[in-house]
Amino acid sequence: MAFVELVGLTKRYGPIAVVNAIYLAIEKGKLVCLLGPSGCGKTTTLRLVAGFITPDDGEIQVGGRRVSAPGASLPPEARNMSMIFQSYALWPHMTVFENVAYGLRLRRLSKDEIRTRVETILAATKLSALAERYPGELSGGQQQRVSLARALVVKPETLLLDEPLSNLDANLREEMRFEIRRLHDEYRYTTVYVTHDQAEAMTTADMIVVMNQGVIEQAGSPEDIYQRPRSEFVAKFIGGTNILKGKHTGDSAVACDGGLVLRCGSGEFRSDAATAVSVRHHDIRLHEAKPAQADTNIVAGTVVRQTFLGSHRDYLVSIPGGEMVRSIAPVNVAVPAGQEVWLHFPPEFCRALAH
Amino acid sequence: MWAKSVAVAALAGAMAWASPGQAEPPAPYDITPELIDAAKKEGSVVFYTATDVTVAEKLAATFEQKYPGIKVQVERAGSERVFQRIGQEYSTGVYNADVIETSDAVHFLLFKKEGWLTPAVPKVVAESWPAEERDPDGFFAAYRAHLSVIAYRKDQVKPEDAPKSFADLLDPKWKGKLVKGHPGYSGTIMTATHAMSKALGWEYFEKLGKQDVMQVQSSTEPPKKLAQGERSVEVDGNEYNCFRLQEEGIPIEIVYAAEGTPLVIGNAAILKNPPHPNAAKLFYAYLFSLEAQQLNHDFGGLRSFHPELKEKAGRTPLKDIKLMLPDAAGLESEIETIKSRYEEYFGT
Amino acid sequence: MSNVASIAQAPRQTRRFDLSGPVFLSLGVLLSVLVILPLFWLLVYSFTTKAGSFTLDNFVTLVTDRAMRRSFGLAIGMALGVGALACLVATPMAWLVARTDLPLRRFVRALVTASFVTPPFLGAIAWEILAAPNSGIFNNLYRWLFGLDSSQYLLDIYTFAGLIFAIACYTFPFVFTLVANALDRVPSDLEDASSILGGKWLTTLRRVTFPLVLPAMLAGSLVAILQALTMFGSPAILALPAGFHVVTTKIWSLFQYPPKLELAAAASIPLLLLTILLLRGQKWILGRKGYTVLGGKSGSPMITRLGRWKWLAVSFVLSILCLTVIFPYAALLKTALTHTVDAPLSWDSFTLRHFHFVFFEFSATRLAMFNTLILGLLTATGVTAIALVVSYLVTRRSVLGAPALGVLATAPIAIPGIVLGVGLFLSYANPTFRLYGTLWILLIAFLTIEMPAGYQQLSSAFKGIHPELEEAGRILGASRLKALWQITAPLLRTSVIATWCFVFIGTIRELSATILLTTANTKLVSVIIYDLNESGDLGAISVLGILLLLVSFTVVFLASRMPIGSTRFQPRG
Repeated sequence: MAFVELVGLTKRYGPIAVVNAIYLAIEKGKLVCLLGPSGCGKTTTLRLVAGFITPDDGEIQVGGRRVSAPGASLPPEARNMSMIFQSYALWPHMTVFENVAYGLRLRRLSKDEIRTRVETILAATKLSALAERYPGELSGGQQQRVSLARALVVKPETLLLDEPLSNLDANLREEMRFEIRRLHDEYRYTTVYVTHDQAEAMTTADMIVVMNQGVIEQAGSPEDIYQRPRSEFVAKFIGGTNILKGKHTGDSAVACDGGLVLRCGSGEFRSDAATAVSVRHHDIRLHEAKPAQADTNIVAGTVVRQTFLGSHRDYLVSIPGGEMVRSIAPVNVAVPAGQEVWLHFPPEFCRALAH
Repeated sequence: MWAKSVAVAALAGAMAWASPGQAEPPAPYDITPELIDAAKKEGSVVFYTATDVTVAEKLAATFEQKYPGIKVQVERAGSERVFQRIGQEYSTGVYNADVIETSDAVHFLLFKKEGWLTPAVPKVVAESWPAEERDPDGFFAAYRAHLSVIAYRKDQVKPEDAPKSFADLLDPKWKGKLVKGHPGYSGTIMTATHAMSKALGWEYFEKLGKQDVMQVQSSTEPPKKLAQGERSVEVDGNEYNCFRLQEEGIPIEIVYAAEGTPLVIGNAAILKNPPHPNAAKLFYAYLFSLEAQQLNHDFGGLRSFHPELKEKAGRTPLKDIKLMLPDAAGLESEIETIKSRYEEYFGT
Repeated sequence: MSNVASIAQAPRQTRRFDLSGPVFLSLGVLLSVLVILPLFWLLVYSFTTKAGSFTLDNFVTLVTDRAMRRSFGLAIGMALGVGALACLVATPMAWLVARTDLPLRRFVRALVTASFVTPPFLGAIAWEILAAPNSGIFNNLYRWLFGLDSSQYLLDIYTFAGLIFAIACYTFPFVFTLVANALDRVPSDLEDASSILGGKWLTTLRRVTFPLVLPAMLAGSLVAILQALTMFGSPAILALPAGFHVVTTKIWSLFQYPPKLELAAAASIPLLLLTILLLRGQKWILGRKGYTVLGGKSGSPMITRLGRWKWLAVSFVLSILCLTVIFPYAALLKTALTHTVDAPLSWDSFTLRHFHFVFFEFSATRLAMFNTLILGLLTATGVTAIALVVSYLVTRRSVLGAPALGVLATAPIAIPGIVLGVGLFLSYANPTFRLYGTLWILLIAFLTIEMPAGYQQLSSAFKGIHPELEEAGRILGASRLKALWQITAPLLRTSVIATWCFVFIGTIRELSATILLTTANTKLVSVIIYDLNESGDLGAISVLGILLLLVSFTVVFLASRMPIGSTRFQPRG
C-alpha cells in the first residue's frame, strides 16, 4: 500500500494552476524523484507535502492519514517529516551539534539520548570532528552533510529534499548523489526528492516522476523513463535525443519529410497528426559511405559541425527536409564539416511518441 | 457627532453659554488646622499658572515650607496656553488642576460661565480686596496685577535717547531694535493690545509692524530678550520681570509711557472638581495671604491689592503711574479681531 | 511497522490552535485604529461646520485667507530651500567620505550621525544662542573683532534664510547617508570601465559616478524637504520671532482661543497630500531601473586621492560639522554653565545655577523626565514588537492579506506629526476614550509616528533572513511562533536592537504631535524645553537639551556595545 499518496492535488496562484490535479502513490521506504525544468511545479508539490502551503483542491495522505486538504491541513510541525533545503537552511547562530540536536530537543528527549543520537548521526555523516563549529565555518559539502544529519536524526516518516545539491560544485555533487543513495539504503525513509538534474535523479531514485507545467508527464523507474519515454517532453528532458516528425504510414513506420522512412521498434503512433520519433544521439550509426544492408531508417546528410570530445566525436548533421540531427560517433570516424555522411537509425532504438 | 459637539462646545466655550445656577457667594473661609490636616492628607496641589516660572516656583517652595507634606506642582505656560489647556482638559473630562491663575481676565469670565470654577472666598479677600477686584459671586479674585511696560537697556540706549512714549517707538532709529510679546500667546499682551488699540488706534500697530519688531510669545520673554542683549527696547512685557532683572544687576530701565501704561489684572480661582479639594482651598487662601502677596511683590515684582503690603523701595508706586485700564468684558468680543489684525501687521 | 514508534515521536499529533490567525487579525485592527481613526476624524472635521453640518467653507478659507495662503507658500519655499541646501552640502561631503582618502573619514561619519540624533528644535535654540542678531555669540564676536557698534550684525537667525539654514543643519544627514551608501555600493567596475575607455578622472566622476548617485541625491533631498515641511519645533522657535508663520505653526495657532479645529483639520489635509506626493516621488526615483544597479556588490569602490586638495576638503567638511554639531553643542554647554547668554567665558560668569534650577527648583523636570523615559521605553518596545510581527507576516506572506498590514504600518509616514496630533486629539479627546491628559494618547501618537521607521528597518532585516531557516525549524517540529522565537529572533537581534534605539531616540525628541497632546501630568522633556523657550530661559533649556543629548548618545553607545551573541557566525547570503 502506498505510504504517501497525492490525490488530485492542485495548487493555484491566481488563475495559474502551478500544480494541476496530480495523482501519485509512493510506497513506503522508496525514494522518489520529482524531476522537471524550473517552474514545472515540483517544488510546489514538495512544499505541499511538507505542509508549508495548503492545496486548493485534492488531498495528501500519509500512512492512511489525511494531512493536507483545502481548509484542513496539518501544520508542517505535526507531520513528522524532515526536509533538506536548497540553501541548507542551517541556523548560523547554532553550532553543528545544536543544529542537529534541535529536532530532538523539540521532541523532549533526555539529554543523554540526544547526545547519543546526535553523535551517531554525526559519525554516519562524517561530521564528528566538526560538532562545535558554526555553519559559517564549514565548506559547502560539510554544510550539506550537516543538513542531512539534521534531517535524518529525528527518524522522520518522510524525508523531503529540495534540490539539495544545486549549490555544490560538480565534483562534490556527484559524490553527494551516491552519499544520499547510500544513506537512503541505510535508513530506508520514504523520500521525496526534487531536482532539475536528470543525472541526479537517475543515480538516486527508485522512481522518477517527470513533471511539466504542473502535471505529471510520466512516472516510472529510471530505466523506464529513459528507455520508454511516453512523450516528446520526457524523451528530450531525460538524456539528449533527436526528435524527427512524420506521418504514420502503417506497419510501425513513419515517413518524414525528405524521404526518410523510420521503422519504429516501440512506442505509440498517432493518426490525427504527425508522429514524433525519438532517437538518442548515441544510438545513431554514422557512416562515411552508404551502408549496404538497409533501405529504410537511413538517410544521407551533410556534416555541419564536428567536435572532438576525447572519448568520442559529436556531430551535427543536416538532413533533407531541413532537420538537424545530433549524433555521437567513435573517435576514429572523422568526417570534416561540409562532407556527406550516411546516418542509420536502427529500428530498435526508434521510439514513436504519440504525445 | 458626539466628539465634535463636545470638543467644540467646550473648547469654543464662548459660543454656547451654559450659565450655571448662581447663588449667594459662599461664606468667606480662613485657614484652619482642620483644613491644613485635610490638605496634608491629600499631599499635593496642582497649580496652573502664567506667572514667571521662577516666581511661581519660589511661591511654591515657600508654601511647601510652611505646610510641609503638601507638594505644589507648578505648571507654567503663557496665559493663552494655560487657557487652551484647561479648555482641552475640561472639555474632555480631564480634571488635573486644582488652582488656576492667568493674566487674562477674560478667561475667568469664560470659566465662570462655563461652570469650570468652584466658588471660594478666602477671608482676607472678603475683608480687604476692593469690590471691583473680586467676583461678586465668589468664583475668582484678583491675585495679582502688573503692568506691561516699555523698557530699554541702559548700556545700549542713552537715557536722553530713550523712548518716553509709545509714539516714540515709531522712530526709524528703533528699527530692528524692538522686541514684543504676542497677544495670541500671552494674556498680558492681549489685554495690553486691547487697551492700546482703544487708546492709540490700530494705525499705531500698523506703523509699529514696519519697525522690524522681534516677535516673541509670552510677556515674560521680552524682558529676557533685553537681558540677553538680543534687543535694546521692549514695546511691551511684564514689569515684574524687569524689576527682577534689575535686581540681578542687568541694566534695564523701565519707561511708563506718556500715553499710559496698560494694567493687567491676574485672577486666580479654584477649578471645578479639583483632584485635591482641601489642598486647593488651602493653597488658594495662601495665594492671597500677606506673605504670598509680599513675596510676589518683593521677589516677583508684582502689584498687589493687599492693603497691608509694603511697597518695595525704589519702585514707582502705582498711584504715580498713568494707567490704561483693562476692560475684560469689552475685550471678550474683540479677541478674534485683535488676533487677525495683529497677524496682518506683524505677520504672525 | 516501525512507524508506530516514530509517530509517537512526532512532536504533536493533534492540531494545535494556530495563533497566526488571531495575531494577524488583532494587529490588523490595531494598526487600522492607529492609522485610520485619526485620519477619519480629520476628514470629518475638515468638512463640517462648528455645528456639525457639512461644509466646504474650511477649504474655501484655506484658499481665500491671505495669512493661510502665505503660511503654505512660506512652508513650501522653506522646504525647497532646505532640500536644495541639504543636497548641496551633503553630496560633496558624502563623496569625500565615501570615495576619497580624506583624513578622519570615520570620525566625520560619526559626527554626521550626531547631527542626526540632535533634535532639530534643540539645534534651532542653539542657533538662537549663536546667531541672534544682537545677543548671538557670533555677532558679539564680530562686533568685538571689528569694533563695530551695537547696530551692526553679521548673522540673523530670525529670518527666512536663517530658518532654512537651521533646519538644513539637521536634515542634511538624510541626503548624506543615502548618497554615501549609494557611493559605497557603486561597483567600481562601472567606473573602471569608464577609465579603461579613456575617461579622465573628472569625466568618470561626472559621466558615470554622478548619474549613478543622482537618484540617491534626489531621494535624500525629498526626505529633507518632507522633514522641513512637516517640522514644527524649529519654525516655532525661529519663524515666530521673525514674524511669519509656516503651515505647521499656523495649524498650531488655530488651537488657540477661540480654537478653530475645523480649519486646523482642513489645513492639515493639503499637508497630508503634499507629504504623500513627496513620498511617491521618492519611491518613484528609487524604484527606477538605474538605481537597482547600486544593489550589486562588486569590488571595493574606487578611492580618489585628494593630493593637494586634501586640506581644502578637510576644512570644508570640518566647517560643516562645526556649523551643525560642534558650535551648537558648545553654545548649549556654554549657556548651561554661564549666567546669561552674552556673558563672557570666564570663572566669574561660571555657574551651576541652571543645573540647580532644572534639577531641584523646576518642579516639572522630574515628572517630564520620568514620562519621557517611560514613553520612550514603551514606544520603542511596542513599535519593535508590532513591527516585528507585521514584517514577519508580510515578508513571509503567511497569511492572506498580509501585504495590507505592511501598507498600514507604512502609512503613518505620510502623516506629518502635527496633523497626527490634530487627528489624535479629535479621535481620543472625547467622552468615549477620555485619553487626553493621559500618557496613553501620547503612547498612541508615538506608536503611530514611529511605526513606519520600525517596520521598514525590520522588514528589510527579515528579507535578509532566508525563509527556509524558519521552515527548517517547522518541519522538525517547531510551531510557527516557536520557530520565530528560537530561530528568526536570535538572527534578528542586531536589527531589533538597532530599531529599538532608533525608535527610542525618535520618541524622546518628538515635539510636533506632542505639543498638542500633553497636559500638566503628561509633560515631556521636549515640551518643557519648548515651554521654557517661550519664557526665554535659555540656561535651563541648555541643561535639559544636554540631558536629552546625553541620554540619546548613551543609548546609541550602549546599543553599539551590546553583546550580539557569538561573533563567529555570519548569516549566509
